[in-house]
Amino acid sequence: MGNRVAAAELARQEVGTGGGCCHGGELGQAWCCSLPPLHSWHSGAAGMTQAELRLCSLLLQEHFGDIVEKVGNSLLRTGPRPLRLLVGDTGLLPDQVKKALCVLIQHNLVRYEVQPRGSVEYEARSERILRILRYPRYIYTAKTLYGDPGELLVEELLLHGHLPMSRAVARVADRLTETMEDGKTMDYTEVSNTFVRLADTHFIQRCPIVSEIPQSTKAPPPPAPALAIDEKEMYVVPRLSLVGKGKRRHSCNEEEEGEHKAKRQKQEGGRSETPPDDGIYWQVNLERFHQHFRDQALVSAVASRMDQTSSEVVRTMLRMSEVTTASGASHTQPLSSNEIFRSLPAGYNIGKQVLDQYLALLADDPLEFVGKSGDSGGGTYTVNLHKALVSLATATLESIVEERFGSRCARIFRLLLRKKHLEQKQVEDFAMIPAKEAKDMLYRMLSENLVSLQEIPKTPDHAPSRTFYLYTVNVMAAARMLLHRCYKSVANLMERRQHEMQENKRLLDKSQRVEAILASMQATGAEAAQLHEVEEMITGPERQQLETLKRNVNKIDASENQVDETIFVLESFIESTMKRP
Amino acid sequence: MTSYQHARFRRIMAEVKVKPEVPDPMDIESRIIELCHQFPHGITDQVIQNDMPHMEAQQRAVAINRLLSMGQLDLLRSSAGLLYRIKDSQNASKMKGSDNQEKLVYQIIEDAGNKGIWSRDIRYKSNLPLTEINKILKNLESKKLIKAVKSVAASKKKVYMLYNLQPDRSVTGGAWYSDQDFESEFVEVLNQQCFKFLQSKAEAARDSKQNPMIQRNSSFASSHEVWKYICELGISKVELSMEDIETILNTLIYDGKVEMTIIAAKEGTVGSVDGQMRLYRAVSPLIQPTGLVRTPCGLCPVFDDCHEGGEISPSNCIYMTEWLEF
Repeated sequence: MGNRVAAAELARQEVGTGGGCCHGGELGQAWCCSLPPLHSWHSGAAGMTQAELRLCSLLLQEHFGDIVEKVGNSLLRTGPRPLRLLVGDTGLLPDQVKKALCVLIQHNLVRYEVQPRGSVEYEARSERILRILRYPRYIYTAKTLYGDPGELLVEELLLHGHLPMSRAVARVADRLTETMEDGKTMDYTEVSNTFVRLADTHFIQRCPIVSEIPQSTKAPPPPAPALAIDEKEMYVVPRLSLVGKGKRRHSCNEEEEGEHKAKRQKQEGGRSETPPDDGIYWQVNLERFHQHFRDQALVSAVASRMDQTSSEVVRTMLRMSEVTTASGASHTQPLSSNEIFRSLPAGYNIGKQVLDQYLALLADDPLEFVGKSGDSGGGTYTVNLHKALVSLATATLESIVEERFGSRCARIFRLLLRKKHLEQKQVEDFAMIPAKEAKDMLYRMLSENLVSLQEIPKTPDHAPSRTFYLYTVNVMAAARMLLHRCYKSVANLMERRQHEMQENKRLLDKSQRVEAILASMQATGAEAAQLHEVEEMITGPERQQLETLKRNVNKIDASENQVDETIFVLESFIESTMKRP
Repeated sequence: MTSYQHARFRRIMAEVKVKPEVPDPMDIESRIIELCHQFPHGITDQVIQNDMPHMEAQQRAVAINRLLSMGQLDLLRSSAGLLYRIKDSQNASKMKGSDNQEKLVYQIIEDAGNKGIWSRDIRYKSNLPLTEINKILKNLESKKLIKAVKSVAASKKKVYMLYNLQPDRSVTGGAWYSDQDFESEFVEVLNQQCFKFLQSKAEAARDSKQNPMIQRNSSFASSHEVWKYICELGISKVELSMEDIETILNTLIYDGKVEMTIIAAKEGTVGSVDGQMRLYRAVSPLIQPTGLVRTPCGLCPVFDDCHEGGEISPSNCIYMTEWLEF
């Protein structure tokens, strides 16, 4: 937690530094010559809700500081602007605004476009800013898949936005060496191998580069370079021979210090020459991570509804479709039962007939996650990605209704989801709930906009006594409404966390000073008694308070991540439904 | 016989023949009633004509009308034409004192069967004014010919039906209502019992560790099986039908605890209805409670009023304070 505090403080002071999220990573100045990638334009950027705006502001401020937050905020509220207007809006110095824009572009949070008139407009990407919330999840996933080197590689790439491979590998090796025992160092090759594996599975990708257009001397250069990258080149790792080992930052032995210093200078002198892969920058491929999260959610749903083996079969099918299915597709490519049998993980030795049975059961299940699409090759099966997302989102909605209003209300909600439109009387009859209670619950849900009324008049004059009133659930509207609630909740949690830190600022400063004193005293070799005396400067109750603060901040932090999981499910569902024709 | 007597006999017969037969009206009526008794299901015009071929159509009509107005005959319509049927003598005596209007209202109520009919509907059908209707209904009630039953759907509404009929389920609510009160506890108990039964069946299937097809099929229970189990438990004072159990099982589906499939079953298999059988199976929830509901904000009743700097804000939120201390 101390690291987090330190990082947050530093972020607030300096401009243009990547803030620390979970580990107090070293903050690098990253003005880079490679310019931002142009991803697909998100058309919903203009229609942002208050909750989204507030959350984006908080995220920018926490991770990048006040100046960047001002610039980002202004761009979010007003839409695309050229630089001059932006300077005018924010009231900052032009130099500051430029640096802030540089940071934002570096991290893919802002994109630019050359207008027909020749000016360049900058636009903030709100959906990408909201992803900052998910950084811990990306890093954790990399850790589970590729171990510590993977975790640190992804973290470095997220914190810096873009990095060339050589630098990333060097930094990660250094950090890993720090954590290892004395005398051991991390070799570059292991980290490079992890890097290559990350690229092969598409978790990281190359950034678009300036395209090589022959410049005619007469025409003026364009105000902003156009960037492009070839699909085939995106995951190709350049052939580098990175040799070396990680370095420790501090050395504990005094005698070695002089030696180390000399060595370090020599090394740094060597490093100042251009690295072999100059101009090739890498970034994290968030879409691929999202695909992975979606697969995870699917597999765990199958495991809880059916059994472990069925979920392993589905996991195998999804793994096989990882690189062949376009993101946003509603079905995976058809896979034959023979292929699936061959691709099952080594530990699972179930017979071919048993596998066929599992596949048949999956295809028959009311969940409809897996569908049978043909009979060749022993039966071809696909995974119904869209249907799975719909089921997951619906389950999320039902869970929210159940926790907020009770299980009887949840029964009515599920009933309406199934039967689409029902009259009040029918609701009472199907749900077997007394009329008074059912009425009360329906009105409560109606006031929260989870349920809506559809009027069907019998007569042209819409007289109330001669009109049918049908209750119905509009799933998209409910999902959007709850997503908005999620954004506001996360913003609330962040504010509370900052408030807690602010309340205890004096105590935190004190504890930091004490730690600094202790560290310096230990370095100069003070006696145990002196150290103990210094430690005593923090009293018992104060220690208690610090403990409580640490626990609270961690709790709120974990909670933010949990709400982010709900955000992921709802956003994926909305996106998948919007994409369908 | 002598020839003199023969001739005299012929003369008398001729005289008799010459005189046109004028049947006595009273005889016609009693003859018709005899015929009705002979054919208790009813007689048509044709039958009467065959029996008394000398009767003119007009006379027949007059006789029949008299009998109808006296309430001794019932007029029915059938595929063959009009039918006349003897009316039940008991009823006939009852209605003696009533006039036509009352008889009409009584007819309408009788037609409504055991579902009963509302007073306004009686008014529409008979086209009689409201005051008349009310008088007639009071009259009939005092004669114990009809009764009023309170409907469970709208407690203010009263439906009228014949005195000796059992009200239909839709009026009294069936097994779930006792004296117009919805028995929620009873429904709850049944709900839990059915679920426990299905759960234990699913667990047994899972523990059997056989191949997946058999495991899945044995975790299903048909509605008939559940019905038998509940009947054997004997927790219900009222007799429950298979449809009743199916409505309970449906509520379990809406609770998200049970799933149902319909399979085609041969006619005659136990528990199949119209060639189909419904199978039910207990399932576990698809996801754990979602992240939003694990934070105070997800369940907060004053969520919409909360904003930074206001009276209710994240910084001074009491729900958050409680939650942090937990």
